[in-house]
Parts: sequence; structure tokens; C-alpha cells
Amino acid sequence: MAAQPESARATPTNNVAGSSVRKAVVIGGNRIPFARSGGKYTYSSNQDMLTAALDGLIARFGLQGERIGEVAGGAVLKHSRDFNLTREAVLGSALSPETPAYDVQQACATGLETVVGLANKIKLGQLESAIAGGVDSASDAPIAVSEGLRRALLDLSRARTTKQKLAAVAKIRPKDLSPNAPSTGEPRTGLSMGEHQALTTAQWKITREAQDELAFNSHRNMAAAYDRGFFDDLVTPYRGLARDANLRPDTTMEKLAKLKPAFGKSLGDAATMTAGNSTPLTDGASVVLLGSEDYAREHDLPMLANIVDAEAGAVDFVHGKDGLLMAPAFAVPRLLARHNLTFDDFDFFEIHEAFAGTVLSTLAAWEDEEFCRTRLGLEAPLGSIDRSKLNVNGSSLAAGHPFAATGGRIVASLAKMLHEKGSGRGLISICAAGGQGLVAILEAR
Amino acid sequence: MTDTQLSEIPALGRLYAGALGSAAKSRLSPSKTTGALPADRHVVRGASVDLARLTEFQHLVLHSATDYLPTGYVHTFAFPVAMSLMAREDFPLPLLGMVHLRNEVQHLRPIHYGEPLTVTAWAENLGGHRAGTQVELVAEVTVEADGGPETVWRGRSTYLAKGVFLPKIDRPEKSAVRAEFVPPLPTALWRLGSDAGRSYARVSGDFNPIHLSRLSAKALGMKQSLAHGMYLASRVVADAVQSHEGPFRWSIDFESPVFLPATVAVAITDDNEASGGWAGATFTGWNPRSHRRHFTGSVTPLDSAAGSSGFSAAAQA
Repeated sequence: MAAQPESARATPTNNVAGSSVRKAVVIGGNRIPFARSGGKYTYSSNQDMLTAALDGLIARFGLQGERIGEVAGGAVLKHSRDFNLTREAVLGSALSPETPAYDVQQACATGLETVVGLANKIKLGQLESAIAGGVDSASDAPIAVSEGLRRALLDLSRARTTKQKLAAVAKIRPKDLSPNAPSTGEPRTGLSMGEHQALTTAQWKITREAQDELAFNSHRNMAAAYDRGFFDDLVTPYRGLARDANLRPDTTMEKLAKLKPAFGKSLGDAATMTAGNSTPLTDGASVVLLGSEDYAREHDLPMLANIVDAEAGAVDFVHGKDGLLMAPAFAVPRLLARHNLTFDDFDFFEIHEAFAGTVLSTLAAWEDEEFCRTRLGLEAPLGSIDRSKLNVNGSSLAAGHPFAATGGRIVASLAKMLHEKGSGRGLISICAAGGQGLVAILEAR
Repeated sequence: MTDTQLSEIPALGRLYAGALGSAAKSRLSPSKTTGALPADRHVVRGASVDLARLTEFQHLVLHSATDYLPTGYVHTFAFPVAMSLMAREDFPLPLLGMVHLRNEVQHLRPIHYGEPLTVTAWAENLGGHRAGTQVELVAEVTVEADGGPETVWRGRSTYLAKGVFLPKIDRPEKSAVRAEFVPPLPTALWRLGSDAGRSYARVSGDFNPIHLSRLSAKALGMKQSLAHGMYLASRVVADAVQSHEGPFRWSIDFESPVFLPATVAVAITDDNEASGGWAGATFTGWNPRSHRRHFTGSVTPLDSAAGSSGFSAAAQA
């Protein structure tokens, strides 16, 4: 069967974000500063950090004792004991214990997916208020026992006689005793996310210098945003951190150029991805307060931006048809087509910097005539993004990337940027493990 | 009262070791105390909280690891200063074997772990008890503020020296027989392993041998090791005030020891105002098999202003 291009015009545009549903607004957000793995939050659990982020939001918007419609959150690296992570965080917070909550997991898109899901419930009239969020700890990660030991222990718990018990124990082999730590590797390919991206970066011929420049801009923009107080009402200090620990305001292109390649070393000279232009493992949490317009007005709360619409995508990366982190390249044109928008209609672009190479490969794809024609089914390239509108207050290369917390960080920051500007639209694009991606449009209020 | 400055929060281990030494000595030569409490207060200025230990404490009592101190943690932090008074040679009661009867605490505002804390401790109200002699240790925690020191936490702990009767102190009449305890429906069951005492010792620094192991407890005349009263108090109060903010007071009376390992049935009952507002909670812990009550207590929200005066007045009464 001939490959069908994934048409960017495939989805009908009825009613979505139209007049038949009401609006879901971003009221504000809060996060704790992101820490590098093994840093200040080493002994804080996901639940601790999510609770800390929630408590900061509660304090900022006077939500003590309030019954919020629903809270959704999640973590990518999650202990099995944390099956009700978000609900437990709510119970440990100053919100009314009568606030329901649920967990979501969509790899690095988790945080944005909580926003989208709850915004949809608000639009449909199911909720008046909601808190979306996410958290991740690479420091306090779950360690699982090996599969052999796990099976033997389960058999042991079911054994009734001494003989059965001995038989269960006898199955344990020395190699079973070493634990399994989580990795960022893809189960089907065995390649880490960085190794996957290194292939995509090489495929799109993204230069080392372009990646270092993106990283440099991320640090510089975020440092400037902190300096002018942009994050004052978006961040609550925690465990002695008041700014993201990964932020390097004094980094230079020279310093970045000195770093050795960290991923794709087998590519030889084409290895361009370093610790400087890749995000490090990070700990942190973020939350976003959403509401209907009525809720915001009745509670005298600000309305920063509307959640207009979102689109998920996925690519067939397993045998290399597309790069692991390229799904947003497909999801964005579908979302734009649904709203008859082009890049020129946006004032801000928030493209999550998993790796500088991810952002630049995605931009390159949208500028590539052949890719846009054969893969997106477009007559002309989607176009270029004005770099002065890209990640203007820094992104994950500077802040770090606690997987599920990134969506909340971006939504809250973008909503505030749009509100400060007073008009216009912002586009969010987040790539995720498993070849997935989630993209969304916000508009100013 | 004069103040005696200590350079740092004393290490409890050393105080216990000293107490063991003086316990041995007092068997050889009779005590040199006058039978009166030390007249001075022990003060440690600007002490800081160890964040790693705080986080462990928070996790152990199921309190989220926020940047603010659980009320039980403040007790743990201040307690060694009080204990340094009790470990003095002129303290009229022996430190070892002292039974923890009651705590009464005012937590006057959230305390950030980064704030340097001044701890002042003194002893008062030496009095008779039908089973011996009781004494109250008061610890006050203050933070330097622009207008002078601000009291942020105040705790009063009542201890009983069992079987010690001092001259000139009357024994009260045996109190009326307590009403029989009818357990309410539990709201929680705590399963405490035989290591519960060691775990709490690690985060609190309270390595009293009666909590550490069966053997060390037996050496001090207990049949088994027992849970720290402050572990029980810290955990139940952390739970009771969980989703409530603002200043509060709490108290707990310990009635029977929790021998480890143990299952403790706990009931926390919220009091709600007619308007639906939280008016505090009462709590009880008991042995679900024997129906022996381990502790009872309550938590009450305080008006920010009311906090500072009421306690001292009560103390003098």
C-alpha cells in the first residue's frame, strides 16, 4: 500500500474552540525552581514537590480550604506506591480535602496533557475550576527489583508449604539481586532519547554551532527574565533554591563550544550534542490554575490567556521512519490548519528544548519543501519561525526539564507573556518519549 | 531567672551517657541536690535546622516535605536544651526512667527551616504525683525580628519521676477512677514495626535506650522497647493539622506506653463550626486488641493575636 501523506488538512474544524463551548482560561501558575538531579531536592519525593508547588499556588491565589473542581497531575518516573500521587498531594496541601484528583502519564507531554484535559472539561461545563500540573524527580527515582527476583518473591508470597517456599527461593539467581534503575531508553530500540535525537540531528544536518547558540540564548533569555522579575509570581522558592539550579547566566558560546559530545559519539565528526545543548536530568514540579470565565470573575482572579485548542501526534520512529522526537512537526500543521492559522499569526513560540537539536530539527522540517510536501501533504513549506519570538524567556535548556513539570512551566509562562502583551497568540510544542508530541494554542486576554 | 548560654544545641547522646554516669554515682553517694529546680534558663541562640534530617523527620511522620517545620519537629529541635537542664547534677530528679506524661504546645506561626532559631528552656512546677514527682519543662522558640525577638513556638512537657518522692512536696489524693474507655471507630490503624523506635531516634536524636531495642529497654526495666511519645504526638498532630493553615495549639496526654511492634488504632475527629469552618480536632490512640488507651489530645486553631498571652497565664495558674 502506498504511503499516504499525513494530510495537514484532514481534521474538520467544527465548533472546536468555537462559539458552542465556553472558554477555559489560565488564571495563573506556580512552580518550584527546578533542581539538577542529585541537587537540592535529592531527598524530596514527587509528592513533596507537587505539594510544595500546589501550596505556593494556593497561597498566591488565596485558595486555602477551597474545593477545586478537579486536580490532574502526574509524573513520568513514578513509584508504584504513588498510584494516587496527585490526590495524595491534594490531601497534603491546603486545598479542601473534598477536591478530587487524578493522575495522567504521557511522558514529557504529561503536564500539557493535564492542562488540555482539564481545559476541555471546563469548556464543556463539567468543571468551573481546575489545577493542572506535573512533577518529576530523577533523584528519588524508583528502583525496581529484577524480573527474576520479582517473580520469585510473588511465588514465595503465594507458597503455602515449606517445600513450595524453598522452591520459590531456590529460583533466585545471583544476577537477579541487582536492581533495575529507570532509564530514558526507548523500550523498543534500546536507544536513549539522546542517542535517538543524535540521529535526527545528523539527519537534518543541524550544526554544533546552531545548537550551542540556541542553548546560549535559552540561558541568556531566562536569566534576563529572572532579572526583570518575570518569574516573581510564577515561582515559589523551595529547599533553598530561588532560581533554577541549571541556569547559567554567565555561560558563553566559547564555554559551550569546549564541551565534548555526549550523544551520538558513533557518528564521529557528526556528533554535535553535548551536555550544554541537551537538558540534564532534573527535579521539579509545576501547577497551573485554570477556570471558566465565570469562576475567575466571581473569585476576582486574573484571566491571562485562553486555552484555545490542542493536538496530539505520534511518529513511527521504531524503524527510523521519523525521528523519535519529531511528532510535533506533524501535529502543529494539523492544529494550524484546523484554525486557518499560519506562523505569522503567532507572537510567541514555546518549543520545548529537550535538546537544542530537537527544536532545530523541527524548525528545519517546517522549512523543508520536500518534507512539507511529501510528509505533511502541503503545497508549500510551512515556513520559518521568527527567532525573536522563540522561547523568549528561555526554555528547558536553561530551566532544566523535570519531565512532567515542563508543560505547566510553559503554559504558565506563556499565558503571562500573552497577558503582558495584551493581544496575540502563542504556540506550544512539546515532544515526548514513545515518538509522541502534544501541541497547543493559547490566546491573550 | 538568669540565663545560661549554651554554644549549640546539646547532643542528646552525651546527655544520656552523662545521666547513666550520674545514675551510677548517685547509688554510691546520696544526691547533692537541694530538692529545688535550677533557677536559671538554658539558652541556645541562632541555631539552624539540618535540612536532610528535617526531610527524614517529615517523611517519618507522614508530613509533606515542605519548607516549614512540623510542630513535632520543633519540639525535637528544642528538646535537647530542656534536657540539658534535666541532666544537670543539681536537677532534683533523675533523668533516666523519666516518664513523659503530657505535652502542650502553641505553634504561633509557620516556621521556615532557614530561620535561625533561639531556644530558651527552663523547668518549673515541681509537684507531687500519686506515683512520684512531676516536673514541667518549658521550651520557647524565638526568631529575631525587627521589633525584638518574636516567639514562634512554645512547648510545655510534663515528666514524671516514678517512685521518687521529694520532701516538702505533697502527694495528691488518688484521683477519681477514670471512666471506662470505650473506643470510638478508628479513622486509621498505624502499624509500627520493631524498628519504629530506632527510626525515630535517628531523625530526632533521642536515643533513649528504652526506645532502641528489647534488650536495651529491658536493661532499664521495660518489658519491651516502646515508641517515642513524641513520634506518636508528631504523627497524629501532623495529620490533624494537615490541610489547615494559621496558628494553633495542641496538647496530648500519654496514658500507656506503646510497646513495639504495635498496631495503634487512631481516631481523629474534626470539630466544625456551624459555618463549616474548622474549629480543631480531638484525637485518641489505643490498642485495638486490649482497648487500652495510649493517648488523647486535641488541636485548636488560635487567633494570631491570642497566641502570645494565654499560655504564660495558664502556666502561672
